[in-house]
Formats: sequence, C-alpha cells, structure tokens
Amino acid sequence: MNLSVSIGGGLTLKNPVMTASGTFGYGEEYSPFVDPGLLGAVVVKGLSLKPRAGNPPPRIMETPSGMLNAVGLQNIGVEAFIEEKLPFLRSCDVPVIVNIFGETVEEYARLAGILDGVDGVHGLEVNVSCPNIKRGGITFGADPAAAAEVTRSVKEATRLPVIVKLTPNVTDISAIARRVEEAGADALSLINTLRGMSVDVEKRTPHLAMVTGGLSGPAVRPVALRMVWEVRRAVSIPVIGVGGIAEARDALEFLIVGASAVQIGTASFINPRATLDVLDGIRQYMNRKGIAHIGEIIGSLRTCGEEEA
Amino acid sequence: MTATRQVMTGTILSHKEILPGHFRMTVSWAPSMETIPSPGQFVMVRRRAEDTPFLPRPFSVYDMDLTEGLEKVILLYRVAGKGTEIFSRMKRGETLSLIGPLGRGFTAVPEKPTLLLVGGGMGVVPLHYLARTLTDRLEKGEVSLHAYLGCGNSNFFPLFRGFKSLCSVFRVSTDDGSVGFKGTVMDLLEREVHRYDPARTMIYGCGPRPMLTRLAAFGIRNGVTGQLSMEERMACGVGACLGCAVSLKTAGGEGNYVRVCREGPVFSFDEFQDSGTRKVEECSVTDGFVKRSEGKAPKSRRMNNKRGQI
Repeated sequence: MNLSVSIGGGLTLKNPVMTASGTFGYGEEYSPFVDPGLLGAVVVKGLSLKPRAGNPPPRIMETPSGMLNAVGLQNIGVEAFIEEKLPFLRSCDVPVIVNIFGETVEEYARLAGILDGVDGVHGLEVNVSCPNIKRGGITFGADPAAAAEVTRSVKEATRLPVIVKLTPNVTDISAIARRVEEAGADALSLINTLRGMSVDVEKRTPHLAMVTGGLSGPAVRPVALRMVWEVRRAVSIPVIGVGGIAEARDALEFLIVGASAVQIGTASFINPRATLDVLDGIRQYMNRKGIAHIGEIIGSLRTCGEEEA
Repeated sequence: MTATRQVMTGTILSHKEILPGHFRMTVSWAPSMETIPSPGQFVMVRRRAEDTPFLPRPFSVYDMDLTEGLEKVILLYRVAGKGTEIFSRMKRGETLSLIGPLGRGFTAVPEKPTLLLVGGGMGVVPLHYLARTLTDRLEKGEVSLHAYLGCGNSNFFPLFRGFKSLCSVFRVSTDDGSVGFKGTVMDLLEREVHRYDPARTMIYGCGPRPMLTRLAAFGIRNGVTGQLSMEERMACGVGACLGCAVSLKTAGGEGNYVRVCREGPVFSFDEFQDSGTRKVEECSVTDGFVKRSEGKAPKSRRMNNKRGQI
C-alpha cells in the first residue's frame, strides 16, 4: 500500500497525515503518545522573529463541537526554536515544516531567510492570518495583494518549499488562492480558524480576554471542506486540508475533494493519538476498498451521475 | 520521578454525590506502576466516544487505590459548568478516556518535617492525595501533617473527610463560623503561624486564586517555604495549546506566560508572585474564574464569589 503524497516544491511525505500548527507544540509535547516519525510531517507552532508573550487569559473557551482560542501567537522566537526545539525534531526522522508569521512583509522574508538551509527544516508554512501593521492592521491573508507580496518575498528569501496557509475570513478564498499561486507558492493549506465569539450571559462579559478568538474543531469542518473543494478547482498547486478533522472518515472527505494531505489540529487535544488513529483508519479504508495508492483517492469526488457501480 | 503519560480508558466503578453538587468518582486505572501519579498531578478526563463535552476536563487526583491488578483513581469534583454537569450524570460501568498523569506535582523538602496543608474548598483535592502518599513517612515519624482547611459552612465537611486521621493538627475555618474558626483559612493561619519554626516547616496549598495569592505572600513574609497548586481552563493538558497560560513573575521571566499544565500546576511561592495574573483579573472582561473552576480541582462556587474574603 502506497500512502506517499507530494505536497509541492519537491516535498514528498510518506503519508498524508500532518499536524496542524499550534496544536502539536514543537513535537516534544506529544512524544509520549505519538512517535512523530510515523507522521507525514510535523508543522510546528508559529514562529516570529522575536519571542512573543501572547495574550492575557482566559485564552480558550469550549463551544459546540469546537473551541475558541485567542492565544495570540505566543512563541519562543525563531532563534530559540532552532537552538532548543529543532534538535528533538531532527532526531525524529520526520519532515519538519516551520510555520512563520510577521507583522510586515520584511519580517516574513527575514524569517524565511533565517530558516533557509537550516538542517532539519523541510518546508515553510506561511501564516498570513496576521494583521499587517503597515496597512492599518488589515489581515495579510484578507488582502489579495498583500498575500501575494508576502508569498513572493518569502519565495525569494528561501529555497525551501513554501506552503501558504489561507484564512477563511474572506469573501472569496479562491481569488486569494489564485493570487498566492501566481506569486509562486508551492502549495496552500486551508483553513486557518474562523473568527468567533462567546459571551457569559450571567456576567455579560466575553469568555475570552481578547473578546474574539479563532474557532476550530469539528464545528468548522464543513466550511473547511467546502473551501478546500473550491480552492482545489481554482489552482493547480497542491492543497492541504485543515479544519476539524478528528477521524479517518473526516480526512478521507478532504482527500476525496482534492486535498493532497491533511492536518490534524484540535483533535489532538481530545485524543493525543488522533493523528495515528486517522492514519490507521485511512489504511483500513484503502484495504477495504482495494486501493493500492492513496493518489487514487485524492480528487476522486464523484458528482451527479458518477456514483460507484 | 515523573510518571509516564498515557492515554487510557477507565471504567467508572462508583460515583456518589457526597454533598449537593459534589461528586466522588472511582475509575479503573491502567495497571502499570509507571503511570501512578505523584501528588499534585492531574488527569484530563473525557466521556469516551461521546461528542459532549467537547474538550477533556482537568481533574486533580484525589486518591489512588493501588491494589495490584485493580488499580483505581479517585476523583472528587464539583459541578461548575456544563462539562462537570454532564459528568455528574454518568453511571457506574460507563467509560472515560483519561490522559495522564500530567503536570508537575508537589515535591518534598527533606529537611522540613512539619508539613502544613492549607486548603480552601475544593482545593483539598490534591492535598488529600499528598497526605495519603505520605502515610509511610508519617508512620515512621519522619513528618507530621498539620491541616488548615476552610469552607463556607459545616455542610461542606464531607470534603475534609480523611484528613483528620492523618493529621496531628486538624483545624477548620468556616465563613459563617458554624464550625471551627470564623473567617477564612488564611485568617486562621495568620493567627497560628507563631507556632511554627520556618526552618522546619513547609506549606502545601490549594484553593481559590485570591487565597493562593494571599498564601504565597504570607509564606514569603514569614520565611516559610511552600508550594501551591493552580487551576486553569485547559484544552490539551500537555503543553501544546497554550490555553492555560498564566503570567507569573519569576517562573518564566518578568511578564512571561507559563503553562499551568506543564510548568505547573504546582508552583513555589517564589514562582507564584503573580503580578501579571492580578493585573489581568482587574480587567472586568477577563474575570472568568467561576468558569475556569470547572477544571482540575473545582472550587466551590460560593467560595469564588467571596474571593475577597478568602
């Protein structure tokens, strides 16, 4: 059985199951439960040039079939990551994809430059769901020109494969996907969290200190699936599906609509072995269906009149 | 010293309401000595194969039954929100998914033979397990336990069960004075501190946040070493989601957030100097304490509401 997938920029994964940024720490946190070497790739917690303290608590709140978070991109900074966290991941024999974010285009490019050629880093995932402080705080990923500019700058600064992680908080995600593709992205991952809110009616206060937060978990899965399906038809680079995937069946939905790989996020909080359970389930499905290569599943959606005989 | 973290399936073996809204649940534990929690550690608990509550909830370990081959974990919790409300309706034979043991627990300091257990409301939970694990040292006369426990009124006394037989001093405070000292457990402790030699005394505390703030300041002021256990809302319990971050002055450098689930839940008094936490709590929008208390060692809602008095 061949589970290997190509996710662009010459990067091939031994299987399509990755971790989602911000839900798997720097790999070590889940090492008692999951051998990272069994995964297709590990995407680490988003990194900035300098360490970031993050937002005040409360930072999280459970919502129906999901959760809101406003962690505020807390991270140890790129230098500390390379020095303190990367050696463990390097020892795990797994492709490491470093998620990066900045507040200016230059910051993204500098991060990409710093990570270029670092032993143990196999690709970059560019988080464009951050406010662009030079343009009045509009999210890079909500502004097609800014998203393209970030992509171009990162591509120029590195030889690593570049995945751009799209925000769903836009009117037309396909239009942004196309611009990012034109700017040279090797792949796209989607979706980041959906902005949401929750209120304590007894106190009439928001449940999160930052008032709003990003919604994740199964609650967002149908939205994510629809967006992956749309974007897949709009671009020709690989698309990685993210959003509420908890079981193999969920992952298969994304593969069938055209995702080349999937990322497991919030599900790991509930079941630390969710990534491996999804992988096992995909194998069982392929066995049951007599599918030899995972490529036969990717983009195999049948629409009206194409049902299996 | 740190036990291996595992994902386990546990079966509820007994589940009783020990006083209104407070439950004691006994759950089968994976029969492996490597997974025995140390006092102060916690487990993430979720209904197995059910969609609600969505996230696991952190519960401090109240006790362990280590009968070989029949190991059990005993949890004591208060209904504080939707999640614990759903747990409270679970019946014997139903199964839970457990992740644990997690976090940094209490540590012993050999040269301190007098151990003060200072608990407010549901804060007794980790202290109970700590006391239980000290049974051998108590029998050998190596340590003595002095319990100072506070609650609203005598109705909450079932929470304190098990302490009296292990503790050579057992003092109780109630807010209404219905039994024991009238006032908060910190008021009581302040009056009794002169009995103790700081060089030979160690404090272990758990309770509502204002009590912990007062306890850490008290310990530092009187030169008594101590550790206290915090609670926070958590999603993962293993350090990945960063949802349980609190701002502690010394634990991670000034203004840095530390994870209650990894760097804690037990912190030394020095680490706890929580200027950042206090600053946050002064913002009205961030006051999620009652909700947060749905977590590890749920405190009594009543005590939370009287936060200024603890």
